[in-house]
Amino acid sequence: MSSKIVDSLNIDLKSLDRKSKRGLFSVLLVTMISLVGVEISAASPNPDEVEIGRKIYMEGVLPSGELLKGVRQGAVQVEGAQAACETCHRRSGMGSLEGNFAVPPITGRFLFANEDDRPLALVDTRQPKDITRAHKPYAESTLSKAIREGVDVDGKDMNLLMPRYALNDNEVKAVTTYLRQLSSELAPGVGNDSLHFATIITQNVKPEKSDVMVKMLKAAFGQRNSSQQTYSGRMRMPLDLIPRQLRKWELSVWELKGEPETWAEQLSEYYRREPVFAVISGVSNGTWSPVSKFCQQEKIPCLLPSVALPPDEPSFYSLYYSKGVALEASVLANHLRAKDKNKPRRIVQIYRDDEVGRGAVKVLSEALKDSSVKVENRIFPEKLSENLKNIFKGLSSNDTVMLWLKPTDLVAVNKENHKQFPRVIYVSGFLAEEDYGFVSKEWKEHVRVVYPYELGEKRRKNIAGMQQWLKSWSIPLVDQVFQSEVFFDVLLLTDLSSQMIDNFYRDYIVERAEDMLGIGSNFSAYPHLSLSRGQRFASKGAYIGRFGSDGKLVADSEWIVPE
Amino acid sequence: MTYCYRKLYLSTQYMKIIFIILGMLLMSQNLLADISSEENKKVQASQFTKVVADYKLPEVNVVRQDGKKLSFLKELNDGRPVILNFVFISCSAICPMLSHILSKVETQLTKDGQKFHLITISIDPENDTPSALTVYAKKFDAGVNWDFYTSTREASLTIQKAFKAFRGDKMNHASLIFLRPFAGKSWVRLEGFMSPDDVVAEYNAMLKTQ
Ligand code: HEC
Repeated sequence: MSSKIVDSLNIDLKSLDRKSKRGLFSVLLVTMISLVGVEISAASPNPDEVEIGRKIYMEGVLPSGELLKGVRQGAVQVEGAQAACETCHRRSGMGSLEGNFAVPPITGRFLFANEDDRPLALVDTRQPKDITRAHKPYAESTLSKAIREGVDVDGKDMNLLMPRYALNDNEVKAVTTYLRQLSSELAPGVGNDSLHFATIITQNVKPEKSDVMVKMLKAAFGQRNSSQQTYSGRMRMPLDLIPRQLRKWELSVWELKGEPETWAEQLSEYYRREPVFAVISGVSNGTWSPVSKFCQQEKIPCLLPSVALPPDEPSFYSLYYSKGVALEASVLANHLRAKDKNKPRRIVQIYRDDEVGRGAVKVLSEALKDSSVKVENRIFPEKLSENLKNIFKGLSSNDTVMLWLKPTDLVAVNKENHKQFPRVIYVSGFLAEEDYGFVSKEWKEHVRVVYPYELGEKRRKNIAGMQQWLKSWSIPLVDQVFQSEVFFDVLLLTDLSSQMIDNFYRDYIVERAEDMLGIGSNFSAYPHLSLSRGQRFASKGAYIGRFGSDGKLVADSEWIVPE
Repeated sequence: MTYCYRKLYLSTQYMKIIFIILGMLLMSQNLLADISSEENKKVQASQFTKVVADYKLPEVNVVRQDGKKLSFLKELNDGRPVILNFVFISCSAICPMLSHILSKVETQLTKDGQKFHLITISIDPENDTPSALTVYAKKFDAGVNWDFYTSTREASLTIQKAFKAFRGDKMNHASLIFLRPFAGKSWVRLEGFMSPDDVVAEYNAMLKTQ
């Protein structure tokens, strides 16, 4: 901001060369006074007023405690949360697309922009040429007319989606103050010519997995950075034609060591040293809760890490592929309930006593609570030894089990249990990580995999793009699902950042992801990914899979989306 | 927007009549200057198009808000006149607006002693589960004549495409309401900004012409 002001001051000085000294002096004086004025009003908006404005904007609540009311279409009133500006203009103030209607950005930066400093935004990504048009700067009076009467700065009646609000002068003033400070500064991690991201690796992740993730991210960042320099030369997409600041993407790898209780401190230290705009991908074998808490607290978007059990706590800034093993548990419950008369009498869950195991077991137990299926839970021993026998005590070939276990444990179970085993053995697709070496000949008929990914030809087609890309960068294929998640993530990030033009605000990237994730070709291992406002899990179902005669996993059910 | 209209005009096989009701838009600004702002809003409320069209509807299953699995065609063809629209729960502006309108329409038609069936189909079915739809219905005071349906993703897409209401993805949902007097008759397709009164008027006009 200040450098812009200095620039304009220089111009003033030059153009004033020919004028009288007195003139110059008075212009300087006026400029300096207005500078001071600008600094004061920008630096210290009245906090009470901002809060009043926030309540109107975000919640649709007036200072009197009454609900905000807007009129639309004569008879239809909107009030309260539905009338809140956030509903359409969004938390960031950067607008959105509502069906066929573009909702414009209304942050101070956009409303009051001068002729020579006009920010750009792309509201309707289907029409990259249709970037938010420059309009005359609003004044407080025209803005109040827009809000109260639905007449824009050019005197045009706005469309009916924008309600007409009954706000008094003080309330309009508070909203205006709120809009002036909303998304007014670029987020930490955004430099003039750089954009900083981090990825997070927690302890005990297999090194070949974390290595390949970092390799992929670095390759993708490198690819993007080199192609960006050629905007003016080879332009591939209309989006790239929109003028913008060139920013080099930088990646930090944050490794978390030791007990999860200490991660918060480690994260803060990393962040203090190198602030990042967003966290991309990331991988954990167990808990992710400290990371999610950190992201929420620092308001850092955490885009699609690969985790087996996302924390069960509401969070605006964390987006996930799915609910992980919790999703599998709900799907399994749904599947068992639908069996009607063929429902098993009981299901025995065997799990490791860690966050992921406990989480999965809890969800399935609760989901079957009021059904005729009895749920029994047994803990897998910490160390593999003879007491493995105990967990199978009393189990007959009539039983149904759910093994919330990873491949090494599954191999041990299979070894122990290869003669007399339960009739149906469910396993978790997440935890199995595509490693079905434990499925012996005897077991083959009996194993069912709760499988949260696409299968067969469709899957092959969807991830072909990723495989090609890996090949061209000589990156090994270690874990198809995991790597396709990382791949999807960088594609998403590329799209989002290109649509955001220069508006790198954190709330905005989350909103863009809510709207845009999964639109277009599917390059993921999931049948379908999509988010929407408030949704935080992009895939919402799973198959029950079994092994075909050729040993390949095939769907044994429809795609099940649990209640 | 122009895109979808062009498409409508071109696909003559699906339409018999086009009415374009131009309210405010065509009136000159001068004319308006004399109208009080209240009336002004009322006139504005009629920015919608009306098209009469036939749709070939698919044989798919849907799940009602009470969890019952049902045939979509049977639900449509139960003898009552139908008023149908598409929403998704996390949609913030257009869908609540449509649902508000339908809520008022239901109240009015019930008061008029009409027999009818309001049908709302989710276009985000994996998220909009029956229990989520039950909550949504309550939010808009849905009465006994208004049902909400979810389905598989494929079935929802099939229905949207059959009604020519699919625009590529859920972000592109439009402000659409469909009316039909009984099975075998054409549909009246309303698109744009309509008031509850407009919909009730269109509904009554449709019944009268039978
Ligand atoms: C239901 C959706 C919706 C809500 C809620 C809403 N707006 Fe709008 N707003 C719109 C749309 C759509 C437009 C664009 C209208 C047009 O261009 O015809 C708009 C335009 C505006 C404009 C003009 C912007 C420009 O570039 O000229 C302002 C200012 C504005 N809104 C402020 C607000 C404020 C303040 C609130 C809350 C008190 C609010 N809006 C709530 C949908 C909404």
